Amino acid sequence: MRGRAMNARRLLAMGATLALAAAGCGGDDDGGGGETQEGGGGGTIKVGFLSDCEGAFGSFFEPTISGAHLALIRHAGAQPAGEKPSDGISNAKVAGKNIEIVGYGCADDTADKAIEETRRLMEQEDADILVGPLSGDEGIAVANYAKEHPDKTFINGIAGAQDSTLKVQAPNFFRYHPDGAQWSAGLGDYAYNELGWKKAAIIGDDYSFPYTSLAGFVGEFCAIGGQVTKRVWAPLGEKDYSSFISQLPDDVDGLYVGIGGSGLINFVKQYQQQKGRVDTERMMGNVFWDDPLVLKEVGKSLVGGTTSAMTAADSDEAAVQSYMADLEKAYGKEIGGTGPSVFTYGYYTAMTALVKGLEAVNGDIADQKQLQAELAKVTLTGDEAPWGDVKLDERHQAISDVYLKQIVKDANGDGVPDVKTIRRIPDVEQTFGGFFTPESPAPDRSNPKCESGTPPPWVGKSEEVSFGG
Amino acid sequence: MTPGAQRTAGLVLGGLALALAGLAPLIFTDFFISVILTKALWLGVAAASLVFLSAYGGMVSLAQVGIYGIAGMTYANLVAADGGSPAAWTPWVAVVAAILVATAVGLGFGAIAARSVGIYFLMITLAFSILVYYFFSQVTQLSGFGGVNNLDLPGLVGDPVQDPAPLYYTTLAVAVLVFLVLRYIARTPFGLSLQGLRDEPARMRALGFDVTLHRILAFTLAATIAAIAGVLSVWYNRRISPGSISLAQTIDVLIIAVIGGLYRLEGAFVGALAFALLDNYSREWTPDVGEILGPARFNTIIGVIFLLIVLASPGGLVGLWNDIWDRLRRRAGPTTGQVKGQPLRGEG
Repeated sequence: MRGRAMNARRLLAMGATLALAAAGCGGDDDGGGGETQEGGGGGTIKVGFLSDCEGAFGSFFEPTISGAHLALIRHAGAQPAGEKPSDGISNAKVAGKNIEIVGYGCADDTADKAIEETRRLMEQEDADILVGPLSGDEGIAVANYAKEHPDKTFINGIAGAQDSTLKVQAPNFFRYHPDGAQWSAGLGDYAYNELGWKKAAIIGDDYSFPYTSLAGFVGEFCAIGGQVTKRVWAPLGEKDYSSFISQLPDDVDGLYVGIGGSGLINFVKQYQQQKGRVDTERMMGNVFWDDPLVLKEVGKSLVGGTTSAMTAADSDEAAVQSYMADLEKAYGKEIGGTGPSVFTYGYYTAMTALVKGLEAVNGDIADQKQLQAELAKVTLTGDEAPWGDVKLDERHQAISDVYLKQIVKDANGDGVPDVKTIRRIPDVEQTFGGFFTPESPAPDRSNPKCESGTPPPWVGKSEEVSFGG
Repeated sequence: MTPGAQRTAGLVLGGLALALAGLAPLIFTDFFISVILTKALWLGVAAASLVFLSAYGGMVSLAQVGIYGIAGMTYANLVAADGGSPAAWTPWVAVVAAILVATAVGLGFGAIAARSVGIYFLMITLAFSILVYYFFSQVTQLSGFGGVNNLDLPGLVGDPVQDPAPLYYTTLAVAVLVFLVLRYIARTPFGLSLQGLRDEPARMRALGFDVTLHRILAFTLAATIAAIAGVLSVWYNRRISPGSISLAQTIDVLIIAVIGGLYRLEGAFVGALAFALLDNYSREWTPDVGEILGPARFNTIIGVIFLLIVLASPGGLVGLWNDIWDRLRRRAGPTTGQVKGQPLRGEG
């Protein structure tokens, strides 16, 4: 008996040691391989991709990848490796170096998951450069992570919280699209001077992106003389908005809606049930309203509403047309239709800027300081940024045009309402003419305060736009 | 084939695991030390507080994440940080304050929850965790949705980004200490009476034991352990937000305890290691199967593996250990009348 017990004991102990050792060796190999690559410069530039495949923005996972891939297809000679964007990309080359996407990180709109995935991509998969993330708080967390890792480079995907560039100011973090407040530029002017709103209420998701997005509206609307009398905040991804809808006051001229992702669809449906109809003539929405995925679901209820962002689906400019055509060619009609989504487009400009930066340093990333210096100088024009030139300010934040749009009845027969662009707001910059500063309180539930003051430089300067006659 | 043999084997295995854990920074990459091992250890401490309550007190609590959230948030608001209302205290003072605050809240909450049992206990503790989550989501002065970033850490753990070993060893030492203390407490008269009123509350009451008081004290002790896990977790993450203590995290800690084994303390750490490995590597391992499966669907794989573990061994991974020994014993011939190893009545 005794002997057998000994054997069993020994076997078990050995088994356990082996199992643990095997797990460790796996990790060890990964790290070792990466280090040699980094030291020698190597022939491959490793890029980590970070987006959301779970949570309120999970449905934007494939569109965001398609945007990043399209940049490689158009500017780095790559081909899609499969039908779905997440199947990967092959033969991407810049200045003779291969560009490899080492992983498609999947976060869930929380900063914690985004950081876990960033660490996995940067430390385990040993990426040199990160493209992402998608959502506001994730962006702030990744910008902070970037600060602690100056030897790597980070290009924001489409996370729009103001803080990640205005306050964090990591020298190796770049954002080639306007932030949430910039996307709202022009709406306050339009509401006050065109629609005649004097008093407005706002409702939004309770986190950094809607804070930023609504701050853009509040900052502009109040500076001209408008009043925001009520701010309602609902948790991100809320399923039941009824109690929030009943908090909205009736004695206002208009409502600005900053609810995004899957929450917006629930909100619109419940608003309709509770109030009979969505009174879009006295409503504005942030960047989500004319997103192709949202229009498909609840667009009919949103007809008549006003929204704004850095893209305009109805644009007939040649650069936009070819961007849309190339996306559809690569990934088919469904993904192709998400071209005007800021999610697709944000990742497109991010990856395009990276390609330009890598070209400028001739693919040499042994010292990423040089790449970062070049990235700060990158300007996107023409096919690189079909909806308008992008340049960076000194905090690596994009300055670019923003479009004011209305959601109109379907005219092209696909059953989904269309978007009609009405104004272009030129050269929108992050500070709104000095209203937002690194020292001003970060946008939150009660900031910025509604005070009249110096309006942003573009008030009264928006250009009328009419695409397609 | 005596129970003594199993015990010795367990000790040898435990010793080996500890030796390996001690040498880990020499063997593994920084990434593995940090993201797998350190994470598994603090998650293990959190799960241990749950396993302690469940194994010895018969209380499956979902409040542990809420309590560690309170400790984490308290720490985050007391040291220098971005966000919240940073008071810029010395980290060690903040650690003590965080553990005290969370323990006090645990005591107060235990006084309410300890009167209920079974599914009602489960629900009331779940409600507590959700309450904590919404509290910190909505009170922007303390956290808000974006949480508190870039926390100041005590000098002892250094900068985990540059060198994860100090934080790893600290976490390891705390985890071992927590394990030993909980094991010891289970064998004190308090621990024994706790097990007594887990099995026969009516009889224990008849014998003159104050059942509710024992349950409250056990809950408070578990709250202290959870608070320690909370502090370790913010050291590890250097940040905390309501997302860190959401319902998903509550479920994760429960999953860790269940796959490890709800009836033995070792289970908490075995489960946490299995969870950390699966959560990280399934994102690459998950094979592409048409439209159904792919790396983006790694959660499906995690779910299936957890289901398999629970189906194959209701006592979790640690339960497998008992099963193997039972089988060996049966093969060795008729036993001398001893009762078959019953994980449900594990005595630690």
